[in-house]
Amino acid sequence: MRTIAIIKRDLKKFFRNPLIIIVSILMPMIYLIVVGNTVQGELKNLPVVLVDMDRGPYATRVIELVRAIEAGPKTIRVFYMSNPERAIEDVKQGKYAGALIIPEGFSRDVIRSQGAELGLFMDNIDIISANAVHASVLAAVPFLTKEHISVRVDTTRPILKSVELSRKIDYDQSLVPGVVVMAVFMGALSTGVFNLIMDRFLGIHESYLVTPLNKMDIVLGLIVSGLILTTGIAVIVFAASSMLTGIFMFLGLSTYIMIIALIILTSLGLLGLMFILLGRADHPRIVGVFGGFLNVILFFPSGAIYPVASFPGWLQVFAKVNPEAYAVHALRSLMFRGGDIAAIRSDLIFLALFTTAVLTIAIVTFKRRL
Amino acid sequence: MPSVETGNLTKIYGKNRALDNVSFQVEDGEIFGLLGPNGAGKTTLIRILTTILLPTSGSARVAGYDVLSHPSRVRRLIGVVSQAMTSDLDLTARENLNVYGQFFEIPKRERLEKVEYLLDIVGLLEHGNELVASYSGGMRRRLEIARGLIHKPRILFLDEPTIGLDPQSRLVVWDLIRRFIKEDNITLFLTTHYMEEAETICNRIAIIDSGKIVALDSPERLKQEIPGSDVIELRLSGITNGIADSLLAIPGVREVALNGLIAKINLDNGAHLLPAIIDELRKYDVAIEDISMRQLTLEDVFIRYTGKSIRDEEIKKVSYFIGAGVPRRM
Ligand SMILES: Nc1ncnc2c1ncn2[C@@H]1O[C@H](COP(=O)(O)OP(=O)(O)OP(=O)(O)O)[C@@H](O)[C@H]1O
Ligand SMILES: [Mg+2]
Repeated sequence: MRTIAIIKRDLKKFFRNPLIIIVSILMPMIYLIVVGNTVQGELKNLPVVLVDMDRGPYATRVIELVRAIEAGPKTIRVFYMSNPERAIEDVKQGKYAGALIIPEGFSRDVIRSQGAELGLFMDNIDIISANAVHASVLAAVPFLTKEHISVRVDTTRPILKSVELSRKIDYDQSLVPGVVVMAVFMGALSTGVFNLIMDRFLGIHESYLVTPLNKMDIVLGLIVSGLILTTGIAVIVFAASSMLTGIFMFLGLSTYIMIIALIILTSLGLLGLMFILLGRADHPRIVGVFGGFLNVILFFPSGAIYPVASFPGWLQVFAKVNPEAYAVHALRSLMFRGGDIAAIRSDLIFLALFTTAVLTIAIVTFKRRL
Repeated sequence: MPSVETGNLTKIYGKNRALDNVSFQVEDGEIFGLLGPNGAGKTTLIRILTTILLPTSGSARVAGYDVLSHPSRVRRLIGVVSQAMTSDLDLTARENLNVYGQFFEIPKRERLEKVEYLLDIVGLLEHGNELVASYSGGMRRRLEIARGLIHKPRILFLDEPTIGLDPQSRLVVWDLIRRFIKEDNITLFLTTHYMEEAETICNRIAIIDSGKIVALDSPERLKQEIPGSDVIELRLSGITNGIADSLLAIPGVREVALNGLIAKINLDNGAHLLPAIIDELRKYDVAIEDISMRQLTLEDVFIRYTGKSIRDEEIKKVSYFIGAGVPRRM
């Protein structure tokens, strides 16, 4: 009852002063429009390593096609290597955006129509460039079959991701996951702990510190009301930005549910983080200054607008602990690849651990006295 | 069992001793007043007793529970009206009371009835659905008193409940407080700067100065410690040696203090002795330019214990980096 009282009180106050909510919705949208129209999204010169273990005629054909991309749209730059394990390892370390591996017996299988397999390995952290590599290689593969073989060969299987995913995602659309995460950030910053800071600033908090409310009531009450608002804000931004960029594909109910679950998880994590960082602040000015700073720190290195793999090393290390990077990655997978849990499992695990940790710390470190 | 009991309570802010070994008791059902100049430590003491501030050392029990080891027990039994206005501006009066009642887990039906009852009593029934932001200071204060009483506390702490209110509102506030106390046998612990208020309402008064309790007794007894029952103040055209001594020689004159051209005389039965004093002054050939006579009040006691000078207050540090925003009374 005490926690619910805090939640209701907070929601009431927010709906009476909807300015904050409106700004939290508008800011990510404006960001989408401005960035989407200023930064042009054609990615170029993404390093791809090619390993030819077949050395047969169709392998040569694949290499020609890849070279054609290198020379034409210049999406990729091709490097050659003979050891497939090293190539994959390098991709994992972010040296290459992808590795295209032509396995032994590839030409033979194509000729015998035995389901030839090409291997395309991509850095799954670096989604924007991975998508670009993926799309361009996939676009090239049909030529292989159409022009030279009349037999129907299932060459789609070798590409690691399914065919629907190859639909071309333009840059504006690829920004949507980041924009949604930014909406979560804005919501988390302007609800939750912010209400506590305003209460402190206005001297109102003294009146509830003398009541039986315990730490858990106060922190959870504020976080849950913040969660409700933040989720609402992020869902509105998700819907509006999808429409604005014309993504409206039907993702299926379960994917939508997963997207909302992901938004909730991310909101909880960021609300908890704000509580830890700003839990002792007593002036809204601190939130203003700190919020701008935090947004830069969390948002830009999240892979939302630029591939993480292209960051310098130290920033990549940071991206590994940045909850927004995981959220962006998971959301991108869900939106553009469908609801494949396996693709986002590690993101979910990280976010769940992160959220549990920050919420615990937020409650434990909350100062119940003046 | 005493309602409030402290032992050597000390609070140190940096080098400043806001409270210095404070020990006293407040009995059950008592109306206890804490008087002291600005910065004496009144709010600090109330904050410690109401469990929202930790003392540097010493102990305190409120309603039978130790504020350090059982703060949540204490919080259920006390009502608090802080010095600063603390009602929520974005909520209506009704919502403010209702939310507060929920914090104390009062069952819904009882709570809603209590809210209406309290709104009625503090005269806010008509404005109960208006935002507190639109209230005057007096209305807000009345609401906060109602809020402090919603859960039937055993002890009510009031930190300067009438500060900044006009005389009408002050009367209303004290009326309310008296009424509640009679009804529910609540112990009252209050601070105020208005001596007449303290004198009329309190059973006992503690005077605190620079963090130390310098006097503690009933208002009558405190006044008795000062010589005389009345005070005559005279402004003279000049002062001659020996005036003070010969005034003191008049039977019934208890104390004479000269301060520039002002003579302050403490005496018994002033109306009776006034002619004798005027006669005495004639002998010295000094004219009386102004004269006033009044009964001794608590204010005289207060000034006697705390002096006339404005305290050298240790001020709180504010951030020049972030800025303080609103001036806060802490
Ligand atoms: N948070 C704080 N940090 C540092 N010093 C403080 C703090 N709060 C109060 N003080 C200092 O402690 C002393 C006692 O302050 P307190 O507020 O208890 O006085 P008070 O008797 O309530 O005064 P007033 O009549 O003005 O309300 C003052 O010198 C004050 O400056
Ligand atoms: Mg005070």
